[in-house]
Amino acid sequence: MGVRRRGMQALAWLLTAQLAAYPLAAARATNDEPVAKASSDVVLQAMKNELDRAKTDLAKSDTPPYFISYTAYDQDQIFIIGAYGALLTDTAVKRRSVDVTMRVGSPELDNTHGQSRVTGMTSGILPLQDDPDATTRVLWELTDREYKRAAPAYLNVKTNTAVRAEEEDKSPDFSKEQPSVHVGDKLTEPAFDKKAWEDEIRRVSGAFRKYEHVFYATVVLQAGSSNARMVSSDGAQVVIPSATARLVLEAQTRADDGMDLLRVETFQAPTASGLPKEADLLAKLEKMAADLKELRKAPVAEPYDGPALLSGRAAAVFFHEVLGHRLEGHRQRDEEEGQTFTKKVGQEVLPKFLTVVDDPTLGQINGLKLAGTYDFDNEGTPAQKVTVIEDGVLKNFLMSRMPIKGFEKSNGHGRNQPGLMPTGRQGNLIVSSKQVVPEGQLRQMLIDEVKKQGKPYGLYFDDIQGGFTLTTRSLPQAFQVLPVIVYKVYADGRPDELVRGVDIVGTPLAALTRIITTGDTQHVFNGVCGAESGSVPVSAVAPAMLFSEMEVQKRAHGHERPPILKAPGIESSTGGAAKVNETASPREVNP
Amino acid sequence: MNGFRAKITSLFAAVLLAATANGKASFAAGGEDADDATAKAHEIAKGDVLLEALLTELDRSKEQLKMDQVKPPYYIEYRVDDVDNLDTDASFGALLLNQRQRVRVLRVVVRIGDYKQDSFYGQGMGGTTILPFDNDPIALRRQIWLMTDQQYKAAADAYAEKLSALKQFSADPNPVDDFAKAPVLTKVEPLVSLKVDENAWKATLQEVTNLFRKYPEVQSVAANARFSAVNEYFVNSEGTISRTGRTNATVTLNGSTQATDGMRLQRSPYWTEIRSENLPGRQELLKQATVMLDTLKALRNAPIVEESYRGPVIFSPDAADDIMAGLIGGNILGKRPQLGRPNRTTGAFATSYKTRVLPRFVSVVDDPTIKEFAGKKLVGSYDVDSEGTAAQPVTVVKDGMLENYLMGRLPIRDFSTSNGHARASPGTAAFPSVGTLILKSSEAEPAAELAKKLKEMVSKQSKPYGYRVDTLGPGNAPRLLYRIYASDGHEELVRGAVFNELDVRALRNDLIALGNDPLVSNRVTGVPQTIIAPSLLFDELEVKRADTSKEKLPEYPAPDLQKQ
Repeated sequence: MGVRRRGMQALAWLLTAQLAAYPLAAARATNDEPVAKASSDVVLQAMKNELDRAKTDLAKSDTPPYFISYTAYDQDQIFIIGAYGALLTDTAVKRRSVDVTMRVGSPELDNTHGQSRVTGMTSGILPLQDDPDATTRVLWELTDREYKRAAPAYLNVKTNTAVRAEEEDKSPDFSKEQPSVHVGDKLTEPAFDKKAWEDEIRRVSGAFRKYEHVFYATVVLQAGSSNARMVSSDGAQVVIPSATARLVLEAQTRADDGMDLLRVETFQAPTASGLPKEADLLAKLEKMAADLKELRKAPVAEPYDGPALLSGRAAAVFFHEVLGHRLEGHRQRDEEEGQTFTKKVGQEVLPKFLTVVDDPTLGQINGLKLAGTYDFDNEGTPAQKVTVIEDGVLKNFLMSRMPIKGFEKSNGHGRNQPGLMPTGRQGNLIVSSKQVVPEGQLRQMLIDEVKKQGKPYGLYFDDIQGGFTLTTRSLPQAFQVLPVIVYKVYADGRPDELVRGVDIVGTPLAALTRIITTGDTQHVFNGVCGAESGSVPVSAVAPAMLFSEMEVQKRAHGHERPPILKAPGIESSTGGAAKVNETASPREVNP
Repeated sequence: MNGFRAKITSLFAAVLLAATANGKASFAAGGEDADDATAKAHEIAKGDVLLEALLTELDRSKEQLKMDQVKPPYYIEYRVDDVDNLDTDASFGALLLNQRQRVRVLRVVVRIGDYKQDSFYGQGMGGTTILPFDNDPIALRRQIWLMTDQQYKAAADAYAEKLSALKQFSADPNPVDDFAKAPVLTKVEPLVSLKVDENAWKATLQEVTNLFRKYPEVQSVAANARFSAVNEYFVNSEGTISRTGRTNATVTLNGSTQATDGMRLQRSPYWTEIRSENLPGRQELLKQATVMLDTLKALRNAPIVEESYRGPVIFSPDAADDIMAGLIGGNILGKRPQLGRPNRTTGAFATSYKTRVLPRFVSVVDDPTIKEFAGKKLVGSYDVDSEGTAAQPVTVVKDGMLENYLMGRLPIRDFSTSNGHARASPGTAAFPSVGTLILKSSEAEPAAELAKKLKEMVSKQSKPYGYRVDTLGPGNAPRLLYRIYASDGHEELVRGAVFNELDVRALRNDLIALGNDPLVSNRVTGVPQTIIAPSLLFDELEVKRADTSKEKLPEYPAPDLQKQ
């Protein structure tokens, strides 16, 4: 009670619970003898045995399941969160969870139909140890529980479907796929020097102390390994070990008029040793603090309609949120959805010079590792490169095993975090262009366009945050587009002017058709994306883009003042005596 | 992201209402000269970086926290729970989870107004954040500073909202204060820490749950051990400083199965102690688990209570503890009703002050100052509550009459001060809670005497048997219920029964005797509590068949075991 959700303090409670998915993602590995490798895996063997038993025994029931799968996730994660030189959280989480999926009925109509989708899965905790008796026993309990959920749900679905008006999309509920058999190589446990990282996080987060205007800042490290094992009644058997490390810098301030201003930087690597060096982090942090300082003083944006230039990073986030989410297959079928693209297949939805693919099989671009890379999706379907928009024309959707009209098969994009039913999701969304100019020329082109349209200035969006850039937030929102660093670029040669509180008006989608040209360099944004099926790691890749028109307005914001008293212990960066720039109490403690 | 609501309107309202629009905060001091008190406080805190940080921010906020045209706070409190927990779960002979958690939780309450009427309402009732567990003064103070600022602004809004809400009701001719004055207290106890043989417990829980192999009739066997050490810091602007520590350790066994007709049967015995070494050891737990599994097995074959019974029932001390906790413990709390409501408090005894709520031979005391009872350490004992008030023994019911409620600093009608019973789990608001609740009789009798009485009553009423409740489950539904036959005194286990109207009325009118066999029940549900009650004999209670649907049995048999 009385706990208000506020930007300033929203984080760490949720973080330990927020074990983001490392689904069947992996370093790509070839292997010749999956069967041999699998047989030495006690847990996998137990899963297979119990699955076979469930399949055989439940086949005798009145409404037998036609599909069962078990997915067990070993998670071994470390979370360290620092703020202003001290650790707020330092937790190691080790657990083995399992999702039991069951489908009763037939692929044409089953218990997961429509709103009843949640009845397709029951989750639980498996023993940490490789104990076959305890493991099969838990699997049996969960399978029985799931059956008792799925079977009545199917009867409900059948009745409802008979009673209700016919649905527009009469696609089956589950696609038929070739079962995969793949056992990834065990990874050597990545070395992690906990003590060294704790100290580094203390130091890096401590660097925020010298910025009086940064009211709230955290450094979050999440590192660990995962092993996903999946078996299904149609013969799939997929084992994928993986490892990942993520570091997030987040800093926040509040303008005098009450507007909250936030900067977030995310870094991702397969292991913690691949994260940026401390000096690089500190340089980034300094830039964030400087941005916030400028933003606090910046004037609030006025309503504007005219040319705009998006940096590669801003364009990547923009495409992920605005376009990518709308290309997720299940949205074309859910009658509650906007279904922007459902009936536009074969039509031009973007300028002809743009092509958009989602390619989880791609490991890196320009030497930068992509976060949305995986070999198999969470339904055991091999990842595929999907050309969703070719030369501006809509061709395809991101498909899980939930078919939609005209798209009967999965294309390896069924993703979820443990415990949630998969849906079509993005992996690595890559925007490429045939109409490019050297990136350095785009600014001049923006000015030219501004002059052509007779406007006093154009807008340069240097950074946009979306649901997936705010990785430490509890409820990332799909489709959220929040410009944070935006400059007015004047036609008359005045210096650029930073503005704050910019909000893009109307359907941002409309803006996509007004792209004039793009830069020649692709920029990568790695992050964690949240939607119905939970948090999954993704990448978005795009060049800088010039728009002939973008309409913006002033964003609504809170009116609470910045903190009344000065922050404790504002001190010089060189250390030395603590200079307290408040009415210092004589008992001031030096750190 | 934009979590801010438009509260400009309510802020304006606060502006209009602000009486002391300028000047320094007028804090209620604890009698001493303020500067002396501050110096003394810091002397006490010396060497404890967290306590020092709390006091430094408290001083700073007391002196300077003030918005234009909004009253300064008249009261600020900080409570920190420094928690170290270890949780271990096992099932079917294997470990499911082993998790250590260390966290420091800060709760801040800022009040605007005065003791008579203040901002403690809605969002003005406090806020929670976490603190670093590193003893870094600046990092600690940053979190405290932000939460204090936020709570001051929340209090300003809440104050305006409260005054406007009160306009809906006619003014109370005898208004109750919003906040009780309390004596200043200083108490700094040594810190406690978590001491537990983690590996031994892991092994024990695995061994205990491995018994499932011998009980194919039992569907699920699990065990959990939870160890906790909490150091609670409390400081307020009145000058109170306390640091108290508590530890507790709980081990719980869980067994669940179904009878052949599908009825769900469960048992979950638990033990709670202050120190982990006082919990049942490996041998004892194995024995207890065997008893639990044997009774589950017996329950599967036990007859169902088909026909309703109305007659004498005896409760074992273990079952009596549960009755006490629910029917008395939940109804003697001085909880303030909603704004504008005329009630004194909430619960079944809200209007029972100075009336008879129990038989004349029964008294109820809540005494957190007792450390031990019959050689057993009590988890419900404490020196200082979560509002920095010293714990006090409270005679709640004397000779059957309700005389008092358990109070924190939120006054209710006729009870204007705290008796040291406001308690809180880490990060939550403090509310009146049971500490150590003791039920006693002026005419206690040996348990055998109660059994004899029951048999006599049964015979007199020409019934073949009476009932004895050994163990209760959630909702006071019996888990182990026996028929005692009048003819030869033999007992028969039955299943599927509930009580009809086992309520405060039954306690008052149908409770006829108490045993002299009080049992200490330590429990940690929310805050640590101890209930001490003896056997109870009711002359008339209704036992009837439970109205629960039978679940389906498993669709297919459990997997065969590979290891034996």
